[in-house]
Amino acid sequence: MSLITTCEKDNIFYIQLHNRIDSSNAPVVEEEILGAMKTCTAPTVVLDADDLEYISSAGLRVILRLRKVRSELKIINVSSAVYEIFEMTGFTEMIPVSKGYRKLSIEGCEVIGQGANGKVYRLDQDTIVKVYYKADALPDIHRERELARKAFILGIPTAIPYDVARVGNSYGSVFELLNAKSFSRLIAENPQELDKYVVLFVDLLKKIHSTLVNPDDMPDQRAVVIGWVEFLKDYLDSAKWEKLHKLVTAVPVNHHMIHGDYHTKNVMVQNGEVLLIDMDTLAQGDPVFEFASIFNAYVGFYDFDHDRSMDFQGLPYETTVSIWKKMLPLYFGTTDEAKLKAVEDKAAVLGYTRLMRRLIRRNGFDTEEGRKTIEHYKNQIETRLDFIDTLQL
Amino acid sequence: MEISKKKEESKLTVGLSGRLDTLTAPQLEAVIQNDLDGVTELVFDLKDLVYVSSAGLRVFLMAQKTMNKKGSMELCNVCDDIKEVFTITGFADIFTIK
Repeated sequence: MSLITTCEKDNIFYIQLHNRIDSSNAPVVEEEILGAMKTCTAPTVVLDADDLEYISSAGLRVILRLRKVRSELKIINVSSAVYEIFEMTGFTEMIPVSKGYRKLSIEGCEVIGQGANGKVYRLDQDTIVKVYYKADALPDIHRERELARKAFILGIPTAIPYDVARVGNSYGSVFELLNAKSFSRLIAENPQELDKYVVLFVDLLKKIHSTLVNPDDMPDQRAVVIGWVEFLKDYLDSAKWEKLHKLVTAVPVNHHMIHGDYHTKNVMVQNGEVLLIDMDTLAQGDPVFEFASIFNAYVGFYDFDHDRSMDFQGLPYETTVSIWKKMLPLYFGTTDEAKLKAVEDKAAVLGYTRLMRRLIRRNGFDTEEGRKTIEHYKNQIETRLDFIDTLQL
Repeated sequence: MEISKKKEESKLTVGLSGRLDTLTAPQLEAVIQNDLDGVTELVFDLKDLVYVSSAGLRVFLMAQKTMNKKGSMELCNVCDDIKEVFTITGFADIFTIK
């Protein structure tokens, strides 16, 4: 049986090392690798040590000789134990050696949550791991962790993203375990305390919106929303569309943080401390964009089916609408009905813009119900465009 | 968690031992809020600290913000595990760690 396996991907020739390389098999391994290299036409050769458990000095000498044949040679996916051998012998200074992800077993771990992208397991008393369903989730994982990290050092209270680990054939993101309950759950359990929770909910929102971010660090929500509007060009009355486009492009560029998916399932309380989770939608932009997504989460999504608020928020529709109505005076510091109505209309016109685009992209025109819903969103947008002259809140 | 305080003129050394987590972070927060009058040099001795949670990191962040206005702050005797937490969270770039 061959001691190595090989594969080629994106112009890189990978040689996978297995089990142990020591004096008993080093000469055979060397011979096999040299043989494989002869057949390889790719410009780069990489040794993949994912399955390597041990390497002795005889094995290290093989690598040194290979390096003379292919000077670009590097070693990837090295386990912590093998990395230590490379480090102790000074190899890490001669050849690029990169560690692989830690391997984690979730056997026997309690499942504490389940979302659209993955399952969350409790690892120990301090950590959880979010294991993604799709195998190629790595870029998404790193993106979310980087956003969370940036928010955290800017003072936004959230869980610590520890490391990324391999869990079976997929990847998991290890986070600090929060002994926390979501606002949705707290409100469902203590409806009489709703006002108190909405105050805390709005306080954290204001803190987020007062946090300045480095413009390169987070996506620009204004550009995203302009994209939504452009998508709708052929679906709205052309004069109305022109107006919507003008309104959105007139929203000033704003480098303050917005969460992008701010709702009561993503805000938790732990020992009286309010914490934010799900950081993958963090962006920068004017608060009007945030209110558009909040409007959807509490009102817009449920226009046709009020029961869906239970699925999304774990709360009855009357409660979600009430949260929305109670938030606005607190955030804007006014009880003036006309002013609050104006805020709602601005949030709604952008909220429905998003919903309309979303449904069209999901083949909404294919069904009678879909066509009816798209028409409803269109009406909601177009009637509001008659009287909205700015999206400034 | 246990907190010890040693004041030498304008230098305050705060020793922490045990776990700085969501349950104990408020104790340290109280120190930051009450004991920094006249302090220009704040030192955290983390020799006996075994764990720090996000709540603990936020208290350090708060202390750093306070000290930025009036002097310096450093974290010393940080064990490898906790140093790792400072590194992965990006806090290592903000704090002076010795």
